[in-house]
Amino acid sequence: MYHIQNVDHYYGTKLVLSIEDVSIPEAAIIGLIGPNGSGKSTLLKLMGFLEEPTYGSIFFKGRKTGPFTSDTRFKVTLLPQEPYLMQRNVFENVAYGLKIRGDIKRLKSRVEDALTQVGLTPESFSRRRWSALSGGEAQRVALAARLVLKPEVLLLDEPTANVDTGSARLIRKASLKARDEWGTTLVVATHDWQWLFETCDSVLHLLHGRLFKGGLGCAVYGPWKFGWEGFLQKELEDGQVLVAPTPEEGKQVAILDPSRLKIVLSSKSPLLKWKIGSLNGFVTRLFLESNGQTVQTAIKIAELVVTIRIQREQVELLKLYPGKEVGIQYEPQEIEWL
Amino acid sequence: MDFIQEGFVQAYALLVSLDPATYSAIGATIRASTLAMAASLLLGIPLGYVLGYFDFLLKKQLRIIVDTLLSLPTVFIGLVIYALLTRNGPLGEAGLLFTIPGIAIGQAILSLPIIIALTATSVEASDRNLHITLMSLGANRKQIAISTLWEVRLGILAAAVTATGRVLTEVGISLMVGGNIKWHTRTITTAIALETSKGEFGMGIALGLVLLLIALTVNILLAGLRRRI
Repeated sequence: MYHIQNVDHYYGTKLVLSIEDVSIPEAAIIGLIGPNGSGKSTLLKLMGFLEEPTYGSIFFKGRKTGPFTSDTRFKVTLLPQEPYLMQRNVFENVAYGLKIRGDIKRLKSRVEDALTQVGLTPESFSRRRWSALSGGEAQRVALAARLVLKPEVLLLDEPTANVDTGSARLIRKASLKARDEWGTTLVVATHDWQWLFETCDSVLHLLHGRLFKGGLGCAVYGPWKFGWEGFLQKELEDGQVLVAPTPEEGKQVAILDPSRLKIVLSSKSPLLKWKIGSLNGFVTRLFLESNGQTVQTAIKIAELVVTIRIQREQVELLKLYPGKEVGIQYEPQEIEWL
Repeated sequence: MDFIQEGFVQAYALLVSLDPATYSAIGATIRASTLAMAASLLLGIPLGYVLGYFDFLLKKQLRIIVDTLLSLPTVFIGLVIYALLTRNGPLGEAGLLFTIPGIAIGQAILSLPIIIALTATSVEASDRNLHITLMSLGANRKQIAISTLWEVRLGILAAAVTATGRVLTEVGISLMVGGNIKWHTRTITTAIALETSKGEFGMGIALGLVLLLIALTVNILLAGLRRRI
């Protein structure tokens, strides 16, 4: 569906996104994760053809395209994190996209279907003013305004970040229905683990505007001190020390690649506890992925949180549970820099 | 101070007795200001949208010029329009001097910067997610412009109210371009100036009250419109 190639996007002189090569297949559900300011919203705007990349190309169904083109205008839609509802009633908000397309056949029933899909009863909500909605209702009306268009691609920017659990569940359900019924490709920027590990076919991790291919990498920011030859060290909040090789010029953020980390039982010996290449923390979360075989395990080490995918059997073997103290082993020279 | 009380009585008498001279001045005022407002809204709303929505070279400088034009003195506009429309002036052939359309041209120039500046401010202040929402729902550039203007309609209405007030109450343009010709180009404000110069304060106040009544009617109509949209 998408092929993003050598895209560098600047706001003023600041490089906010740099993606070498990414493809997104049709009818896939792609999760997008990363800290604030990592470029998730910018990537969604570029994929929604709301902005043109400063450099590089975005191919949609094999054709290089950009904003306001007939290839994409009626096919791709984005739900921003803070959706804007126009100053008209709910019905008119949902009907807007169809009206500007001149597609007003069975308008009323289609709008009502879309409202029902997001869990809003048309009888109570159709005539309600935009200002008389709660945050969760407004988010669902905004989603209904996209779903009524039956888009080929639905881009969701933190769709459940500011809503209650009930609304979050309905938003997720309605979005998945779009994929299942119309083959809509979903790209979701979210921190919601249920989206990421239960629903998404794959997860893209953005850090500092760059895609990190090793899964859910953990970014470690400075300040760094000089350690022994060729290495830098970062003192964590609890006094533990993370060691990393000296980076190339201009790179400032170290990345702990979870696929290269090993969970071990926490050492009771204070000597081993402060060993180089070893950190101690505790399990904060365990989440069984949709394949039923692997478990995403979040471990908090001082101010850092690393999320490591392990086999289900390993959870049993290590007797992991939230709150359990564990050790993490890493190879300092394998730490990468962004 | 009796003339103030007298003014109220006279204002009532003028309106109730359907005094022809008063109604002629009311008619001239309404005709000129309606023409002026129609022209300035037609030109000012799109120009205000362009100024508020797009980023272009010299935008800030243009904005300063528009804001400066908000302070245009009416006698200066009157002078310039007079110079343009006078028989020997560049637009003398049009024969618009001492006519209602002539006054309307001057008044449109007076109200245009108000419409442009306040529309631009409303568009600039509109939610940044509005553009993203409209574009992501498939709107083209023209549909984005129309929908954005509709979203800031209350701001535009406020601009129209402000400009109408300025146009209704100006005297410099009407006097210089219109010539204060009875039954023809005499507006309420020029009539007030004339009555005052004659020492007829009561009549002047009566006409002033009539003007306020017109302004009140216009604002009631606009307030009704505001509630409906």
